[in-house]
Amino acid sequence: MHIIIVGGGNVGYYLAKRLAQGKHVVSVIEKNKELCERIAKELNVLAINGDGCDPNLLEDAGIDKTDVVAAVTGDDEDNLVICQLAKETYSVKRTVARVNDSRNEHAFNELGVDVPIDSTAIIAKIIEEEVSFKDFVNLMTFKRGKLAIVRVDLTEESPICGKQVMDIKLPGDSVLVSIIRGEEVIIPKGTTLLQARDDIVALTTIENEQHLLDALIGRLE
Amino acid sequence: MYVVIVGCGRVGSELAKLLSQEGHNVVVIDKEQGSFKRLGQTFNGITLAGNGFDVELLKEAGVEKADAFCAVTNGDNTNIMAAQVAKKLFKIPKVIARIYDPQRAHIYHKLGLDVISGTVLLAAMIRDKIIESHFTSYLIESGELGVIEIKVTEKFAGGTVSELNIPGEFLIATVLKKKGVVIPGPDTKLEKNDILMGVVKTISLKKVRGFFGL
Repeated sequence: MHIIIVGGGNVGYYLAKRLAQGKHVVSVIEKNKELCERIAKELNVLAINGDGCDPNLLEDAGIDKTDVVAAVTGDDEDNLVICQLAKETYSVKRTVARVNDSRNEHAFNELGVDVPIDSTAIIAKIIEEEVSFKDFVNLMTFKRGKLAIVRVDLTEESPICGKQVMDIKLPGDSVLVSIIRGEEVIIPKGTTLLQARDDIVALTTIENEQHLLDALIGRLE
Repeated sequence: MYVVIVGCGRVGSELAKLLSQEGHNVVVIDKEQGSFKRLGQTFNGITLAGNGFDVELLKEAGVEKADAFCAVTNGDNTNIMAAQVAKKLFKIPKVIARIYDPQRAHIYHKLGLDVISGTVLLAAMIRDKIIESHFTSYLIESGELGVIEIKVTEKFAGGTVSELNIPGEFLIATVLKKKGVVIPGPDTKLEKNDILMGVVKTISLKKVRGFFGL
């Protein structure tokens, strides 16, 4: 795949490094000359020094044959404009933007960024999951907040303990992804028996999240 | 009208004062509290310090009942983002974004944003002043029409407006006379040193100039 990354700070650097290892053709556009030189020297990617909001530079970076544009600068307004230019002017199929200020995620969704990534919210979620004693955690949401991956910890009282997966009645549009039992990860099959203290990871639409919880732990959180 | 202005630099503060003096309700938003000094003591609108595309701050600014929204900070992308938030999220009827970069101005104009690019306007104005004396084309966006200023010479004095109009190519819109501005009828008589302001098709400019001996 051809990928353009705008922003060569920490996020852009490591993203470029990983993607370049994966046999992708990567171009990085970075305003800061020193950062840009470091990328050119250390990574096997095309590094362009300049403003990634400038259509000329995007063209230099090969935007006409690019599959994905990732805007990961520290400025949300720049990230938005880069994604819009890519999408509207160059018909790039997929645009990914880093959201620096969580308050802007909604606007990014509304204004046509395919995948806004809110690192603050993601880190907060991970930390919440690590410190939480709740038996339910929303691990992440995607597709404009329509889908969620949740983790549910089964207790003795859970109505599904001792049942096989095939006997559980799940709400529509939700599926069990995996069961974590101690250190073991189990991919659920119809005959998998559920036990207390299992952690269940499930994918669900937001509308059905509550129904899913009702089905798995039998009460409202 | 209820107008929200983002950016309190020279343009933003001037615009805010202008609208406020005309009796409109104005809210000005700027990142720097210090920028509001430009509004002077007599400004009676509201000022809010913060980010012009912060949805919560915009709500505080009463953006939901705003009739117009102008994003005039010195950052193109800030203006683009703020204007789109105003237009698409809050559905404000009249939204204007200032964009310095002509390329981006052109792109976002095509995408349906109401864009004003000082760079493009100024360049066109200066160009007209240098190259085409008494002719301006920047006022009319398509570039097909322009406005020309012609001083009535001896040769045309005593004639009427309708004798000088060229149907389909040139139309006299106003006449500046000594006593003031006149919107002419077909029979308005012209005197020496009157100044005609006419609309001209850009492609007919040469012909009109030739006709008047300019």
